[in-house]
Amino acid sequence: MSEEKWTVNFVVYRKKGEGAPHYQTFTLEVSPEEYVIDGVERIWAFHDRSLVFAHACHHSTCGACGMRVNGVEKLTCITRIRDVTSNGGTLRIEPLRNFPVISDLVVDMSRLYVGMDKVHAPAVHPLSMAPLEGEGIKPPREVPMDDGKEYLRLADCIECGLCISACPVAGTAEEYLGPAVLAAAQLQGLGRAPDLTAVVDCVDGVWRCHSAYECTAVCPSSVDPGWRIMDLRRQVLAQRIRRWFGGA
Amino acid sequence: MQNTISQPKAGESYLLWFIKIVTGLLIIVILFIHFLVNHYLAPEGLLSHAEVVAYYRNYPIVPIMEGFFLVFVVSHSLIGTRSILLDLNLKKNIMRVVDALLVTVGLVATGYGIWLLFAVINWGA
Amino acid sequence: MENPTKKPNTRGILDWFDPRGRRVGGWGFILNRLTAIGLTVYLYLHLIMLGKLAQGPEAYDSFIAFAKQPLIMFGEMLVIIGGLYHGLNGVRIALNSFGVGVPAQKQLLYGVLGLTLVGSLIFGLRMFATH
Repeated sequence: MSEEKWTVNFVVYRKKGEGAPHYQTFTLEVSPEEYVIDGVERIWAFHDRSLVFAHACHHSTCGACGMRVNGVEKLTCITRIRDVTSNGGTLRIEPLRNFPVISDLVVDMSRLYVGMDKVHAPAVHPLSMAPLEGEGIKPPREVPMDDGKEYLRLADCIECGLCISACPVAGTAEEYLGPAVLAAAQLQGLGRAPDLTAVVDCVDGVWRCHSAYECTAVCPSSVDPGWRIMDLRRQVLAQRIRRWFGGA
Repeated sequence: MQNTISQPKAGESYLLWFIKIVTGLLIIVILFIHFLVNHYLAPEGLLSHAEVVAYYRNYPIVPIMEGFFLVFVVSHSLIGTRSILLDLNLKKNIMRVVDALLVTVGLVATGYGIWLLFAVINWGA
Repeated sequence: MENPTKKPNTRGILDWFDPRGRRVGGWGFILNRLTAIGLTVYLYLHLIMLGKLAQGPEAYDSFIAFAKQPLIMFGEMLVIIGGLYHGLNGVRIALNSFGVGVPAQKQLLYGVLGLTLVGSLIFGLRMFATH
């Protein structure tokens, strides 16, 4: 790692309980090769132990450290400081949008998890469905395959919630299932899971999407929810129109 | 916590969306013809009252086309407006009032437009 | 839960329109929504204005003469730009929604903007030349 040092002002969103939110500035010496989460952790370690934020794996697997960095949704463990500010510059760190703030940078992501349950892609599987050693994998549904007969991984979605935060309408449409949830439905396919048609072909489903593709732009895991929502629409239309002509 | 996403909510489905797309495409087609007829062929760029009456009387297809155009454009605008209002997650009973208002606006606008077409065709008759 | 009425962290309608931090697709959405609202307002004003046709030649022709002033013509130009954008972007969204061209949505939007610009110039020049 280079010895280069930058001075960066971290302007951090703070909110406790019912108190009004405000911003607090911490000026840090950082290496531009460090990641944004490193700065946030240093603020907690050396400046203010009351700062609340979520993190775990530090390598974009757990999806816990999603925040808004200078107004854009980022997984802070893979966002290099060099890529989002300059020496002497500012990093505005805010919690994700469109979820209730619990404290400081941590939000209540129930909305996402409840939605995932609804489309049969629960965040936590019951033990009876867990792939125990030696028993082979027992996913909750038949795992879909692409044309090359490769298994498609729903696991690509790390449920970080960045897509829901970036969606322009998810803030006002509070009950909209949102990009990650619709992507999970698309991956299963309405042909394989026809009961999902009613879940996604409704006022809180695919028609709330207005094709801004902000979800795809911020997704750190190449899930491409924007494309998946469009494909899900195509599946809904195909299924409904087939029904007009007496199809199943 | 109450699970607000427990049941699919009726109120918008593929059909409304499909109508919005189809009317949108029909609007594009008719608007193109509308511009040609109402502006391009008029030497002054806009038609005078006498020219409008003459057009409608001489080419019966014009008022028929305008009538369809009206229906498509009103439907598209009202379904679109409703879609924007649905983004606001309004309460069910407020949405019911909104729906009644939108249907009323649609019927009044269509009725008014068709009355207007006949008023022009029958002008001075 | 302690506080079941906790509201999401959002600026509401402002988040529909604020272009800061948005990318190409987001700008497409903002323009689509703004033009949708603008065109809807115009549509109903246009319908009301056409009522002059039922009042006879004096009412209609004097309104047309009145409409040939710069401010109204500027408004008409905005309607043409908005209409072109909304129509062309509508085709883009419709294609995307049938599974066509989603990976190229950005390029399609640039195409929509380009055609809107060309179409607006043609209309504008024609309007300028006629009046």
